[in-house]
Amino acid sequence: MADQPDGIVLGRHRDLEGRRWHPWLRRALLGLVGVVLALALVDVFGQGASTKRAEAGAATLSVTAPDAVRGGLLFQVRVTTEVHTELKDATLVLNQAWLNGLTLNTIEPSPRNEASRDGRVAFELGHLPAGSKHVLYLEYQVNPTTVGSRTLRLELQDRETPVTTLDRTLRIFP
Amino acid sequence: MDIVVRAAIAFWFIYFLTRIVGRRELSAVGPFDLIMLIVLGDLVQQGVTQSDYSVTGLVLAAGTIAILQVGVSYANFRFKWLRPVLEGEPIVLVDDGRVLERNLARERLTLAELEEQARLSQIGSLDDVRWAVLEAGGQISFIPKQ
Repeated sequence: MADQPDGIVLGRHRDLEGRRWHPWLRRALLGLVGVVLALALVDVFGQGASTKRAEAGAATLSVTAPDAVRGGLLFQVRVTTEVHTELKDATLVLNQAWLNGLTLNTIEPSPRNEASRDGRVAFELGHLPAGSKHVLYLEYQVNPTTVGSRTLRLELQDRETPVTTLDRTLRIFP
Repeated sequence: MDIVVRAAIAFWFIYFLTRIVGRRELSAVGPFDLIMLIVLGDLVQQGVTQSDYSVTGLVLAAGTIAILQVGVSYANFRFKWLRPVLEGEPIVLVDDGRVLERNLARERLTLAELEEQARLSQIGSLDDVRWAVLEAGGQISFIPKQ
């Protein structure tokens, strides 16, 4: 009878020759998974919201939204317009990145009118008196096949005259 | 196309996890492990098919996993040098009644667990064991002394 079972090499399978570093590799790879989880905890993969502001003489525009989202997630964008001097016909103009690969479920309150301006989407808010504040809520869902990074550009106009522009980046993880 | 990519990523990620968590976790299927398996399956499904309820989606996802499984199996069969990576290697736990503590610790196995496995194999004492081997699949095989 052979001393050890068939297929067992004592040096390698009992004395662990050439295998002593294996647990360290396993721990390192597990640590790598842990790093990914730690990054998730500090919001690298979404979807904690941040606020960006753009100041102008006539108004201050601020957008509160997540910087990163993942496929299929619901998220909210809050656009606040603080008016310093009267805007006779305030309009928010969104570039295509606000809608490509994203589903805009609802806008509250509904704009007075919606229009296309050279492929961009315009939401007409109407007359905003000086000192007033307008908050627009946009409720989104990420289409599951959408991935990548994009620049969301939002322009506040008064009768097609630009008042201020705000850019922010949205990263979409699969 | 994306569903094939997602299924492939899910397959390789789960494969990667099963290789790094160690055999101790894989060999034990208690009530908690059973529930975790179901939860894991549900999580994987959501990531792979997301909101796709179609039969086409099912065929693509299941087909991708089946092809990859056969591919891994063939690579394991065809290339001997790949086996330790894809499947792992056995490790001797008992040699002629002597428990190899270092090897047990390496797999995070306790003496009590080893004794329990021995009892399940109708072996009352590890002194009666010629060889105990933790196999690549996570089971422990016992060869009694003659």
